[in-house]
Amino acid sequence: MSDPRGSSESESEFRSGSGRESESTSASTSLSTGTDAIISGTDVVREYDTGGQTVRALKGIDFEVGPSDFVAVVGPSGSGKSTLLNLLGLLDVPTTGTIRLRGDDVSAFSGGERTVARKETIGFVFQSFYLVPTATALENVEMPRMLERTPRKTRERATELLERVGLGDRLDHKPDELSGGQKQRVAIARSLINDPELVLADEPTGNLDRDTGDRILDLFDELRAEEDVAVVTVTHDDYVAEAAERVVNLIDGEVRDTDGMAGNTGGDEEW
Amino acid sequence: MNLLYRLAARVPTVLMARRNVSRARARSALAVAAVVIGVVAIGTIGAGGEAFRQNQLSAYEQLGGVATVDPVWDPEDESLADGTFSERQVDRMRQLTTGTTVAPVVDQGGSFVRDPEGDPLLTAQVKGLDDPRMLYEVESGEIPADWRRSVVVGARVAENGDIEVGDRVSVATNGGVDGDFRVVAVLESRGFASPLNADRTVFVPLSAFDTEEYGQVILQVDPQVSSVEAETRKVEQRFNDRGPNVDGETVQSQRENFEEAMGTISQFLLAIGAISLLVAAVTIANTMLMSAIEREGEIGVLRAVGYPKRAVVSMLVAESTMLGVLGAVVGVALALAIGSVLNYQLVGDPLAFTASGFRAIALGAGFGVLAALVAGIYPAWKAARKHPVEALD
Repeated sequence: MSDPRGSSESESEFRSGSGRESESTSASTSLSTGTDAIISGTDVVREYDTGGQTVRALKGIDFEVGPSDFVAVVGPSGSGKSTLLNLLGLLDVPTTGTIRLRGDDVSAFSGGERTVARKETIGFVFQSFYLVPTATALENVEMPRMLERTPRKTRERATELLERVGLGDRLDHKPDELSGGQKQRVAIARSLINDPELVLADEPTGNLDRDTGDRILDLFDELRAEEDVAVVTVTHDDYVAEAAERVVNLIDGEVRDTDGMAGNTGGDEEW
Repeated sequence: MNLLYRLAARVPTVLMARRNVSRARARSALAVAAVVIGVVAIGTIGAGGEAFRQNQLSAYEQLGGVATVDPVWDPEDESLADGTFSERQVDRMRQLTTGTTVAPVVDQGGSFVRDPEGDPLLTAQVKGLDDPRMLYEVESGEIPADWRRSVVVGARVAENGDIEVGDRVSVATNGGVDGDFRVVAVLESRGFASPLNADRTVFVPLSAFDTEEYGQVILQVDPQVSSVEAETRKVEQRFNDRGPNVDGETVQSQRENFEEAMGTISQFLLAIGAISLLVAAVTIANTMLMSAIEREGEIGVLRAVGYPKRAVVSMLVAESTMLGVLGAVVGVALALAIGSVLNYQLVGDPLAFTASGFRAIALGAGFGVLAALVAGIYPAWKAARKHPVEALD
């Protein structure tokens, strides 16, 4: 995310986030994709108060995610990855700076409005799956949509999604009857039940072996192609980063470089 | 997708709550048990108390026109120095009253009764009365018109001593009767509130006593002629003109006193029952708090994927309410079962539930559900308020 809208090298650019130079360098891309962006941030700062001390988890970054993007956010722990993911997921709001969801400033949203926006726009894949142990795979996938009171439609869509992730024969299995990779696929299907534009995945391969991780990454590619979903993932895993279109390297609350861009033709969106 | 599922899907939070309740089975069961105890306590105290009341009140049945007159012992007054009525005083009562049967009772104390095997019946009393039929129904046997050399026993005496009509019992009192008597009749049970404590009494004909001192006088008033209140008042006024000598009380007012006492007792017991429901509510609050903390991550996921706070609250409150409903259902079943046993024991009919007995059970159930619902609110609110980011950490 956050590409520092410039070449990303200098801290000063980031700190100044919306500074002139970054804008000037990326202005054309920003404008061209701006209308399209699902979510974008400008000079986003997030500070936490921890016992009288103020910790700056994010020190002023810019980002933009467009349809079908696949962005990997990497960086050491404590670099602000989770904070960024929470902001992208509208689970948190920036201390200063602006985050826009489809052009609307999310800081103007009430808690309830953010909840609605999350439901309509964003799917979550959590690191430890967080499946309900007593519910079947199908019911877990349905869960985010259960409040809809359209059980038939929800069930159809959930079945379709589980088939889509290759678990059509495991609909009635409980989580403890599924392997790690299968659970992750259930979690991915769950993240898609509300037809989001953006899926946020926290260490999606963290608990999986390489082969299973491969299949998850392939699945992300397919979903991006077929469902038009953007994927932003936070990962320690270089392997995931390699698969991503863009890599955002977050260190100490600032974006250091975006080396993924070169490999992936850089184009469509910037981080 | 079956119909039931589609119905349940109309209230998705309830569906999810149901699943959650069956998740920590032992914990849910314990919380339910707490409600069961509370509901059973209230229901059983209410229904059982009602059965007990019915049982005791039956003692007053058909005694609407009856009053008892007791001497007031007054050391200053020579005429009533030993706390008994003399034959002359009883005659005076007969003259004073109209439409009234005046029946003196001999109650000498020091009663001693042996059953046919010769074993003493420790709780049995011996009383002299002209005609027990005036006050009591006969269960078995028959009291002869010329009742002189036999006895009539109360229901409890017959039961304890395994006494049947035709058996012989040995009866002795303090300086009065002493001898073996044939049992000619057993009286119907009247409960312990019965005047003269009939169930525990062996009635001996007055003529068997060589005495003219009566411990009590019973007035029975023909309602066609006068009222028992009026006749009792008349006796009291005439005997008490120079100070308190007699104390007359209608059975009706004894009944009222009894009912009042019962009411106080049962309110006290219901309050204890209510406290047990309060404890149940605390248990449920604790259960829900633990369960909410345990499922923090899961609730965080729900919040993250777009469940509003109120959906989380309604899910958790539905859970705690479900525990209450479960407890109430089991509790009502148990209260009905225990109540019918009590009914059988006390009234003789297991199904003798009264409206107020049912009301007590319904009250217990209602309070059980309500307590569970209220108990769930705080934990639910706390869980829903938790920020998803913190919950998912």
